[in-house]
Amino acid sequence: MKVLEVRSLRKVFPGERSIIALEDVSFEVGKDEFLCIVGPSGCGKSTLLRMVAGIESANGGEILFHEKPISGPNEKITMIFQHFGLLPWKTALENVRLPLEVHGIPNEEARKIAIDYLGKVGLGDFLDTYPHDLSGGMKQRVGIARALAMKPEILLMDEPFSSLDELTASTLRREVLRIWADSNLPTDTFLMVSHNVSEAVFMADRVLIMSPRPGKVVEDVKVDIPRPRTEHARDPKFFDTVEYIIRVIEKACGGKLPGCEINDGIG
Amino acid sequence: MHAFGFVMGLLAILSLYILVISVVHNPEISNLPYYTLRTLARISATYLIALVTGLFFGLLATTKTGSMILIPLFDVLQSIPILGYFPAAIIFFISAFNGAEIGLELAAMLLLYTSMEWAIFFGVVGAVKNIPTNIVEAAKSFDLKGYGYIRHVVLPAIVPSLISGSTLAWGDGWFFMIAAEYITYGGKNYSLPGLGSYLAKAAYVYGDTNLAIVLLIIITILVVYINFLTWHRLTEKAGSGTYKPILRTDWPKGLALSGIRRFTHMPHIPRIHLSFGFRHAILSSPRRGIYSRLEKGMAVVTVIALIFFVATVAKPGLPSLDEIRGSLLIPEMANLPFYTACTLTRLTVAYFISLGIALSMGILAAEKKGFAMIFYPIYDIGQSVPILALFPILFVSLSQIFGGILGLEITSLTMLVADMIWYLFLNIVTAVKTIPDEIREVSQLIGMKGLQRVRHVVLPAIRPAVVTGSMLSWATGWNTVIFSEYMSYGPKVLWLPGLGSFLDKTALQEGNTILLGFLLLIMTALVIALDRLIWRRLLRKAERYAVEVM
Repeated sequence: MKVLEVRSLRKVFPGERSIIALEDVSFEVGKDEFLCIVGPSGCGKSTLLRMVAGIESANGGEILFHEKPISGPNEKITMIFQHFGLLPWKTALENVRLPLEVHGIPNEEARKIAIDYLGKVGLGDFLDTYPHDLSGGMKQRVGIARALAMKPEILLMDEPFSSLDELTASTLRREVLRIWADSNLPTDTFLMVSHNVSEAVFMADRVLIMSPRPGKVVEDVKVDIPRPRTEHARDPKFFDTVEYIIRVIEKACGGKLPGCEINDGIG
Repeated sequence: MHAFGFVMGLLAILSLYILVISVVHNPEISNLPYYTLRTLARISATYLIALVTGLFFGLLATTKTGSMILIPLFDVLQSIPILGYFPAAIIFFISAFNGAEIGLELAAMLLLYTSMEWAIFFGVVGAVKNIPTNIVEAAKSFDLKGYGYIRHVVLPAIVPSLISGSTLAWGDGWFFMIAAEYITYGGKNYSLPGLGSYLAKAAYVYGDTNLAIVLLIIITILVVYINFLTWHRLTEKAGSGTYKPILRTDWPKGLALSGIRRFTHMPHIPRIHLSFGFRHAILSSPRRGIYSRLEKGMAVVTVIALIFFVATVAKPGLPSLDEIRGSLLIPEMANLPFYTACTLTRLTVAYFISLGIALSMGILAAEKKGFAMIFYPIYDIGQSVPILALFPILFVSLSQIFGGILGLEITSLTMLVADMIWYLFLNIVTAVKTIPDEIREVSQLIGMKGLQRVRHVVLPAIRPAVVTGSMLSWATGWNTVIFSEYMSYGPKVLWLPGLGSFLDKTALQEGNTILLGFLLLIMTALVIALDRLIWRRLLRKAERYAVEVM
């Protein structure tokens, strides 16, 4: 069953030198699916994610959520951010409560839900701690609790592990997979943007490869490695898939080495 | 493009001058170009001296011993309201040169110099302290030492803050120009040829408000023109070479380069330096204004010594204890608490009016991007108006409507607001602009509506900026309050009850230097106490939960 459908999406950033960020991007995401989008910097993958979240508008094409076009933020689609996006002036608990209260959930109930979800991500003892005093991994846990507490159907993740150290990142990756597999939680469709290919292969059912600007989907790779993948991470199949995806990205970049482009401040 | 703008601007200004000279009827109007050049020369010469000494002391203050002495010293010195010790300087220079013009010129330059020096000095110190550790370590690993280190690491690092410090200093120079050029002392008016004194004379001597307004507009145009020619272009150029991370804003790049932004040559990022100003230079250093007891003690001793120096050179011979007692125990001293309360109330009222306006503008800028686009040009022109020069114009017109005292009170408050608002405004609008994208996106994603967004995101995000802006606006407010509580035109003297007018009366009418020093000490103590007890505490608290810039 498809939950999300992206149809010939186009995005242009206007300006003196207008930039086509996305061109004719189409794909579908099924229920219970874990989809990862990879591509070189500036290919518009983060923009794409924001369009799904309803906080960035399209210049053509459409995104359907349960067959209905997305026109703005939807409480059934939430997001976690690369730099966590926590309000520094609010405690962990207040950060998780805020979206609930904005959506009209009574204070007492919002508090209960927030405590429950912070407990689920292992932060039961840090309810009244400010982000300033939390480690990177803990901040991202607050971000995850905040996103899950809304009981969304789709969880969007914008390079959620790239500002964490590798050990923390690897723990959190497994935790996110555990949450994804947890049938008690209503959130079962995950959409992640990453530029870490092994991370994508480790976590996703499907990996969508995008080309540099204007961003297009160049290939849709199904990752056929049984789960739990921790046991298969030394499998030749794992490395072959990673290798294959890197090849495709390099080809899409026209033989140029990714990372050699000049930073133009976009993407 | 720049050359074109330069020529067009110059032509426009020249034709404006020709127009004004041929249309306005005033015996001195033909001297307008001469006055302009005198004022320009006065401010430029003082600026150059301030630049060189600021750079020198600033670099000296980054050495271990230097920082122990210079930073606390300059920190206390910059807390002394400049216009408070100006009367003492006038008394000294006028008597030293028997009232010759050179004495006045030196007094004026001293006033301008002290208004300029701190911004440059603290800019340099702050910039050197903010050189990232990795750059310092990289330089060490390549064995860059002594001159090489200064040449390749320190100097490039201080260029942006030297420019923003200079922008501030230059602006302060124009701000104090009228106070420096037109002096009333002992019932007599002294004036130096210049735009400021001409403006004052237009209002007081000729009673020609229209001419005063024309002059104010000319001065503003000159300031804006020179700013665009120099500081803005320099700021733009320096922007790409700073160590500061480029703050992410949600202005698409294309937009940032187009429209008003390009038209006005508004530098995008480097304004951050400016907004945090020179006071922030000490706060942002790891020491964060917490000085050791030794440093504090030394600073206090130095200041007392300095005040005594000023007081005694002005009145040769060390005053005896009786003399001191006699000077201090005048009947009016009984009013001191009342005067202090008046001045504090005046400042507080003006501060809250300014804060209210600046906050509303900041929130508007946060909620509607279009407003942010127009606010920067407004700031640019608004802060270029030399506020002190508004004084004669406002007073002459307001006193006709409300009568002398009420007119003066309204003038004083208006001037305080017009002066205090810019620091708040700039800091708040800058803070709004630097709210990280992710935080904006979160608030959008959560679906927060206007008021919720203001309460949960905008207000907390700008809190540190409000505190920084408040510190700066109070600092400048003290000067304006001294200037605006006391008014003497022709034979008449009007004054509002307050510390500022007490100080002016003491110095300018009675020449009581001991009392002058005492009042100055009180005022400085008030400034420092407010700073330490209120602003620095609030700042430390606000910064704890401030947005971390990625």
